[in-house]
Amino acid sequence: MLQNEQEYIRILKNRLEGTLPAEDLEDLLSDYREHFRLGKADGRSEDELFCSLGSPEDVAKEIRATHLVKKAEHTCSCRNIFHAVVATLGLGLFNLVFVLVPFIILVVMLLVIFLVGVAFSLFGPAAFVYAILQLLGFPSFSIWLSPVAGIFLSVGITAVGFLLVIGDFYLARFFYRMGISYLKWNIQMITGTVHTE
Amino acid sequence: MNIQFKKGVLEICVLAVLAQKDCYGYELVNEISKRIDISEGTIYPLLRRLKDEGYVTTYLQESGEGPPRKYYRLTDSGRKEEHELKEEWLRFTTAVNALLVGKNNAAE
Repeated sequence: MLQNEQEYIRILKNRLEGTLPAEDLEDLLSDYREHFRLGKADGRSEDELFCSLGSPEDVAKEIRATHLVKKAEHTCSCRNIFHAVVATLGLGLFNLVFVLVPFIILVVMLLVIFLVGVAFSLFGPAAFVYAILQLLGFPSFSIWLSPVAGIFLSVGITAVGFLLVIGDFYLARFFYRMGISYLKWNIQMITGTVHTE
Repeated sequence: MNIQFKKGVLEICVLAVLAQKDCYGYELVNEISKRIDISEGTIYPLLRRLKDEGYVTTYLQESGEGPPRKYYRLTDSGRKEEHELKEEWLRFTTAVNALLVGKNNAAE
């Protein structure tokens, strides 16, 4: 593979086009073009400059992840946070454990709370109607100790269901914010290792 | 020996160099890679992030030859950050050095 300026710029552009706004991308590419220009003026070859810059793929990955996390921070949505997490996963195997696992655990937990909440919210009113019918003397399979206890219990279940759904929403918001901070920190710490000799 | 440091160190280095003088990208990269072996390409994303966080600003300045160069300058909050990170780093390395060298020598 050719290791020249054109190739370096091409790889960066390919990987970031469509993710980064065109203006930002052009600004970034101009930084690297300037680097090559001044390096060559310094008497270094394009191949040499390419090698010391390191992998353009890694640079693109980092910029992509940073950008997508910023976007998710700006506009809260499932889609944005999902993209941010996926981009961060690409930064290293390490993140399978430190990003993917916590992410899955959180999503499953929030989903379970939500589903239980919805189930309670639906079951409660149904049980309420059932208890009322029972009280009015309709024939029924007696699932309650008494129709009156049934009314209280069904109201309670409905209330708990609503609380779970609402609470889940706040919990999701809380973890979303925490997650963004964590991803930022993660990107900063995991990328760009420095070696000393 | 090949000790791996994470990016936090690179951030301190960039801020420290800029605290001494405004630099253009290539100059900054050289200042740092003169002393430590880095993937030079990672400095530019780092500079973008520092700019996003308001620690540095950029301006264009004409040079003797070629098109104008993009210079990076620390902002006030960048200076503060540089100061804090440097203090923290020095405290940490002093403590580690003391452990490595042994108590007697470190007491001097």
